[in-house]
Amino acid sequence: MQRIFQIDGEETDCWLGHDGSRFVLNTPTGAVACQLDPTGLPGGYKLRAKGVVRELRLAVGPEATFVHTDGRTYEVGRVDPAERLAGSDGGASDDRLVAPMPGVVVSVAVKPGDAVEEGQPLLVIESMKLETTLTAPRDGVVAEMPFAEGDSFGLKDILAQLAPEEE
Amino acid sequence: MTISKLLVANRGEIAARVLRTAKARGLATAVLRHVAEQEGPAHLIADEVVMIDGPTPVAAYLDIPQIVEAAKGIGADAVHPGYGFLSENAGFVAALEKAGVTFVGPTSEVIDLMGDKVRARAFVEERGFPVAPSAIEDDDPASFVERARAVGYPLLIKPSAGGGGKGMRVVREDSTLETEIETARREGERYFGDGRLFVERYIERPRHIEVQVMGDGQGNVVHFWERECSIQRRFQKIIEETPSPALTPEQRDEICETAVGIARAVKYRGAGTVEFIYAQDGAFYFLEMNTRLQVEHPVTEMVTGFDLVAEQLRVAAGDGLSAVQADIPQTGHSIELRICAEDATADFRPAIGNILLLDEPQGEGIRVDSGILDGGKVTTDFDPMLSKLIVHGPDRAQAIARARSAVQSYVILGVTTNTGYLDAILAHPDFASGDVSTGFLAEQSETLTAPGEDVSDLLMAAAALSDERLVSDVMQIPEMYRKMGGWRN
Amino acid sequence: MRRIESQIDTNAADYKANFAAMSERLKEFHARQHAARFERPQRDIDRLARQNKLGVRERLKLLLDPGTPFLEFSTLAACREYDGVVPGAGVVTGIGIVQGREVAIHANDASVKGGAWYPHTVKKVVRLLDVALENRLPVIHICDSAGGFLPLQHGVFPDRYLGGRVFRNQVKLSQANIPQIAVVGGHCTAGGAYVPTLSDYNIIIEGTGAIFLGGPPLVKAATGEEVGVQELGGAVMHTSVSGTGDYRAATEQHAFSLAREIVSQWMRTPKTIIETAAFEEPYYDPKELYGIIPKDRKTQFDMREVLARIVDGSRFHEYQPDYGTTMVCGFAHIWGYKVGILANNGVLFNDSSLKAAHFMQLCNQNRTPLVFFQNITGYMVGREYEERGIAKDGAKMLMAQGGSVVPKFTVIANASYGAGNYGMCGRAWDARTLFMWPQAEIGVMGADQAANTMADVKIRQLQREGKELTEEEIAAIREPVLEKYKRDVEAYTSTSELWDDGILDPADTRNALGMSISASLNAPIDDPHYGIFRL
Repeated sequence: MQRIFQIDGEETDCWLGHDGSRFVLNTPTGAVACQLDPTGLPGGYKLRAKGVVRELRLAVGPEATFVHTDGRTYEVGRVDPAERLAGSDGGASDDRLVAPMPGVVVSVAVKPGDAVEEGQPLLVIESMKLETTLTAPRDGVVAEMPFAEGDSFGLKDILAQLAPEEE
Repeated sequence: MTISKLLVANRGEIAARVLRTAKARGLATAVLRHVAEQEGPAHLIADEVVMIDGPTPVAAYLDIPQIVEAAKGIGADAVHPGYGFLSENAGFVAALEKAGVTFVGPTSEVIDLMGDKVRARAFVEERGFPVAPSAIEDDDPASFVERARAVGYPLLIKPSAGGGGKGMRVVREDSTLETEIETARREGERYFGDGRLFVERYIERPRHIEVQVMGDGQGNVVHFWERECSIQRRFQKIIEETPSPALTPEQRDEICETAVGIARAVKYRGAGTVEFIYAQDGAFYFLEMNTRLQVEHPVTEMVTGFDLVAEQLRVAAGDGLSAVQADIPQTGHSIELRICAEDATADFRPAIGNILLLDEPQGEGIRVDSGILDGGKVTTDFDPMLSKLIVHGPDRAQAIARARSAVQSYVILGVTTNTGYLDAILAHPDFASGDVSTGFLAEQSETLTAPGEDVSDLLMAAAALSDERLVSDVMQIPEMYRKMGGWRN
Repeated sequence: MRRIESQIDTNAADYKANFAAMSERLKEFHARQHAARFERPQRDIDRLARQNKLGVRERLKLLLDPGTPFLEFSTLAACREYDGVVPGAGVVTGIGIVQGREVAIHANDASVKGGAWYPHTVKKVVRLLDVALENRLPVIHICDSAGGFLPLQHGVFPDRYLGGRVFRNQVKLSQANIPQIAVVGGHCTAGGAYVPTLSDYNIIIEGTGAIFLGGPPLVKAATGEEVGVQELGGAVMHTSVSGTGDYRAATEQHAFSLAREIVSQWMRTPKTIIETAAFEEPYYDPKELYGIIPKDRKTQFDMREVLARIVDGSRFHEYQPDYGTTMVCGFAHIWGYKVGILANNGVLFNDSSLKAAHFMQLCNQNRTPLVFFQNITGYMVGREYEERGIAKDGAKMLMAQGGSVVPKFTVIANASYGAGNYGMCGRAWDARTLFMWPQAEIGVMGADQAANTMADVKIRQLQREGKELTEEEIAAIREPVLEKYKRDVEAYTSTSELWDDGILDPADTRNALGMSISASLNAPIDDPHYGIFRL
């Protein structure tokens, strides 16, 4: 029901309602009763809103809707606020990689002092006959790599430690 | 020397445009396609598509051995280079000659000569054609600064090997001359691997006027009248027209004859364009000669009725020119708009995206040379130009009106384009009166990119109502609750 | 269905006087409601801001579908308890719409005594969970409570319908496959820890939410262990180590967005089908109710005029219009839902009781929900009526009403006295929702009657002791009794004690009933069956 629309870099929080007979787009500045009917042309619609009828051509992309009307083309970015929030979970990621189970270090890819990017492999471990590549949880600098190739480690041992993030 | 199979060593709209004429002339046709390239109109027109590969898509189109091999491999007896890429590359011409494949264009010598701005200029000047006061570093590097000073201010520093406006610097005061020279040299080295420079008088508020010529390589040259290309953004043309609103009939004859004279001097073969700088006082100076078909050639075709690609193919096949000068009319007025995937409000930053909906304008006096297909993908692998919209009208005012109506109804959805910007240029009173210079777009940038009427509520309504997931979420709310709205007891 | 022809003259003096009186009452009611919802001591507001927590109303806004109604229950609960410092009993409950679905909401209001559980808090929460059970409504708990209010622990903890009942109901909900989500936006300590842990899903807001059986001070006292809130029961620990928490939310917005997303994962179960019609607004303006309800509660009025301002199109199909006329029975639609309406137009006689009993059986047979509009002073008394068997006819009505399998809804529109309250589906009779109008009264009998009765007992006792009482002395005994009784029968007392689900502005009745009926259809309707009717 809620969308954030982006036009020319400006964001507007809106929600769409329907009162049984018509749709109403609620914007921070007011409610706009509106109706969209196809005209038969590819992507062609008639938009009724704010007391006017406008012919438009419209295409819905994955992240933006493109509208051509009255000789001009516009791009309206669409953000589902829920999806945007979903990216916010967890807050700051951990600085440490903790062993999910006991095992052996197969190989170590970085050393203390190395700058790493999020997702960059740090080391490969073997546990329960499976090799797992452990990657950097965020961009940062490696502070400690306590285990060398061939070392055994126990459950919850720290396998890699990043330097704390600077504020 | 007949041509039976033509390989178009290009892509996009120009490849499609060349292929259409070639097919109409009964030639077998082939075109290149990079392995990672989207399918375009050219690939649907050509009888054969030759896949090429390279470290980057552009690199593949510049890979002379690979393309020569391709031509030989498919048995092509001629190659049309289009514009850009290898169209002005003497090495390519030589390689094709060696392989026994006809190059649709001038000789490598002429390409070489005209490709070197300094030599070309000297050549033209020596033969008495007008060139702007200038100083060439190579003539005597030690006295270059002194000679540059003698040209007078304002002056323009250009890299000898340059093009496309890169590395050019305007100097208005003597105090900055030497530092600007050093900067231009560094830029020349960076862009072209060549730090040699020349300076010329900088023409204030110049117009860009060019003349389409066609020669048979035997010294016979005709012109197809002029084109005005003063509407440029960042030194790149985006609107071209013919006839130029700036020229009187006498000036027109003079400038066209000058162009023919230059082409004749090199026994020009094929289609070429002689570009001039036109000063506000009516003087004009040779700028350079482009030894290929120009992007904006369709406006010439619209007013003359000639198919310039057909003429190129005739000349390349040794059939000579199809017309004498007197047979080449200039009827009505034509305007070309370059439709580019770029954001005019963000310094013309190239835009990318998927073309979700494409609907080209149609109708009398409207021509679209397009390089894109509905459903295609626009990437930054190539030039941002997607297509060209060319209109023809009985006079300039009607051509402008037709161009506006056509560009307004040109629907390209899914990628940002400059259609609205082009329309804003066409709507500008200075454009209507023809009072423009190459600096017009920069001077008027605020007016031209001013936001129009605020329709954001309508746009958001359209975006909301066409968002199926949103609509279905709303309609999942039972009707009673929708009707009650935000009621609270 | 025929439209009720209203006889009301909106220009009449008594209409205008009624309207003015009701408007005055409503002004007071809305002011009290607003205060209960929003007016808090500054220190409580500051504390929430300091804790970086949103207020409960803001949380609801994030949770509910925008542009949809929220039927709030018992906003004025505890308004006559605890010196009025526990507005709403420190908790917000109601039925709201999340992702298009009806859900029951239980949200602690941490701006009231840190969301501590008072006896009335527990009563309100248990009632909400009963509503959820009866109507099979999913529950979303928004947990932010300091725990039981210790000085009153005896009123919170031990009895059958006190604290334990909250958790017992949670178990019963889960057992009945009715999902629950807990959003932990504050501490859930001791018993409170079981709200999220007994929920099918829970979300903990990082930084503010925490769950533990014993908080850090208690742990230190018990074992000497020193441990911080986050390590002991914070979002990170519970979602990654203990598995007590399911989702870790970075912010309040994120938490409620997650809750909404979880709701949208649930299978949509088809609702119980009853007869419906297209919506129609009442033909007569519901606000005219203000002029119809007499300013003097003892003045008789025609319930059909009330119905005409509540039901769809003001249309009413009256059953037995000429028999037992003090009991108005008939069919109508409310928000499209076909309902059977029983409304009092006077005292209940034998015929009106029998008519009501018969009509309720018709509705059960036809799966038509029942709506009661009470304005009842009781069953008729007197020799003639006893001889005619008023007690057994009343029993028939109770048997039919109490044995009804269709959902029932009650509006106490004016008087609700004595056994009439029972026959007309009072609180004890499992109305799915029961609302009162602000001027309505509820009691064993009318105030004067009750005061007289109580005063008489006292007077007779004194007379037996040989005391002769003057008029003044009698009045001195009678007046305080009358005053106290008058206060005790007021709607505000009822709503404070949670004898109802809230006081309604009469003009809101249609929506409140519409939502109640719609919510009730999440539960199936059994086949009709009854006990023994005394014939």
